[in-house]
Amino acid sequence: MPGADKETELSERIEAFLSELKRCGSGAGSLRGSAETARETTSLLRRITAQARWSNAGDLMEIIRKEGRRMTAGQPSETTVGNMVRRVLKIIREEYARSRGSTEEADQQESLHKLLTSGGSSEDNFRQHFTHLKANVIEAINELLTELEGTTDNISMQALEHIHSNEVIMTIGRSRTVEAFLKDAARKRKFHVIVAECAPFCQGHEMATSLSKEDIETTVIPDAAIFAVMSRVNKVIIGTQTVLANGGLRAVNGTHTLALAAKHHSTPLIVCAPMFKLSPQRIQIFLRSFCFLLPGEILSKVNAHCPVFDYVPPELITLFISNIGGNAPSYIYRLMSELYHPEDHEL
Amino acid sequence: MEKDTTQKLVEYFRAQIREDPDVASAVAAIRSLLEFLKRDQSETILGLRENMTKAIQRLEETDSSVAVSSGGELFLRFISLTSLEHPDLSQCKNVMIERGELFLKKISLSRGKVGKLCHTFIKDGAKILTHSSSRVVLKVLENAAADNKRFTVYVTESQPDSAGKLMAQKLHNLNIPVTVVLDAAVGYIMEKVDLVIVGAEGVVESGGVINKIGTYQMAVCSKAHNKPFYVVAESFKFVRLYPLNQQDVPDRFKYKADILKTVKDLNQEHPMIDYTPPSLITLLFTDLGVLTPSAVSDELIKLYL
Repeated sequence: MPGADKETELSERIEAFLSELKRCGSGAGSLRGSAETARETTSLLRRITAQARWSNAGDLMEIIRKEGRRMTAGQPSETTVGNMVRRVLKIIREEYARSRGSTEEADQQESLHKLLTSGGSSEDNFRQHFTHLKANVIEAINELLTELEGTTDNISMQALEHIHSNEVIMTIGRSRTVEAFLKDAARKRKFHVIVAECAPFCQGHEMATSLSKEDIETTVIPDAAIFAVMSRVNKVIIGTQTVLANGGLRAVNGTHTLALAAKHHSTPLIVCAPMFKLSPQRIQIFLRSFCFLLPGEILSKVNAHCPVFDYVPPELITLFISNIGGNAPSYIYRLMSELYHPEDHEL
Repeated sequence: MEKDTTQKLVEYFRAQIREDPDVASAVAAIRSLLEFLKRDQSETILGLRENMTKAIQRLEETDSSVAVSSGGELFLRFISLTSLEHPDLSQCKNVMIERGELFLKKISLSRGKVGKLCHTFIKDGAKILTHSSSRVVLKVLENAAADNKRFTVYVTESQPDSAGKLMAQKLHNLNIPVTVVLDAAVGYIMEKVDLVIVGAEGVVESGGVINKIGTYQMAVCSKAHNKPFYVVAESFKFVRLYPLNQQDVPDRFKYKADILKTVKDLNQEHPMIDYTPPSLITLLFTDLGVLTPSAVSDELIKLYL
């Protein structure tokens, strides 16, 4: 039966995606950037919308929420998966409201104004059936995918406004977004980059090699030298794993040190992060194993802790550069309310 | 005749507070104003508004807290918005009464919503510092305790009315370990605590808060020690004030109603409230969600513009 075949094929794809995610976490699978994860999650969600059986928006949202919970449980540290699920849920709500012809979809959030003027129950259980809903949702998801493909380019286009000639820029670890940003500026400006190597996996080395291939003068420094070198730095530009709702960051370990050193020297800290990294979640601690790097005699005698991420509070950040432009950290709450619906914060 | 109706209004308001001491004063004020609306005899919407304004002024004279003022202004705004949609008085009044009841029901639930939002920020083993007696903070701590979290609470005595001791008694009844500290001991105790949670009498446009005297001190101390300073407040406490410093807060909020009427030289009196600027506040927990101080003015603009 073709229906059953599609269902099994769909569940196979979801299972394959889940196992990819789990493997990435332990470092065994292919190391993929968060942009690819976001794109694959969105295509998978588009496939679910197209192939799963649902008759109204409420059912579809339930299915997507269920799959979303499974995917985020598979790899909790990869927040882009959850973010894309929430984006798609918001898309479904918007398309539903548009099909119903209601004009108040612009302000679905709770507000004082809504409290005063709403008459009667505002319960909307999305049970009405619309024939064109599927096509509209899939079209909107396609638009989302196009947006995702263009994010790195949109961010790099803003590079020339922020990087000037003969500047010394500091960065940490390896961020594909920052790499593209700096390379774009290097086409027209000459500047110097200092990369903190970011122990223990030393991703900074790869970043430095890649930048120097584009004829950018690069220096690699150990993490301990960050404070010492900071007085000669004009700007700090970093990437991040996640942007939290209060404007803080969850970034690779060592970033908080970098941010504090920059604050001390009054050096501007610029974060290049595409919109799909914005997450309404709370801070959690993730530990990664790095025991294989320690010599054997030490391992038996000590406890080794290696946190994967740092929390950077919003007061240390000067500017966020995303695919929709530059924003202050105090504005992030507003961007988040435009991207996600408050009921979807908890999947 | 008019004095008679406003007198009844004040009595109704006082009765509300007597019967249910747990109710927020703004909720009691709005309930009384709704009753007043039902019994009002004006023939035009303008007359209705005028009567309402006088009634609100009378209520403010009875209880000079910021919350009553913000509740009253919200109700007035509510009338203006509804009267714009329905220009005919009798129809307008019915819609107003219906919406008013709904509004009242929603805001009676707001304390519960805030409690649910905030208690997840309290971790196991946390030491919390709070100031004076706030029913919202009590609700938050109640929810956290019901969630089987272990934490200890330090409460400041909060002179001149020793409201902190009342709070300590209530927390003791919930089996939460609590210690009362002197107002002057805030700096001393700050290194021990993990976070500070206070209530608010009013939340101003800048995102700052107006609360019992001593809150500003606590906020400055917590900033110096890098401890998070959380404010919990329901959304009907948002008020259209923008004080730039302590002197900017209007006198009618600073002192109790009877003192304002009897005393000649206010400089000799102790103010009951102070203003905490938004730069010292980490997050605000309201029934509209968890807001950063910069998001508060957004909410107010959405309502009043």
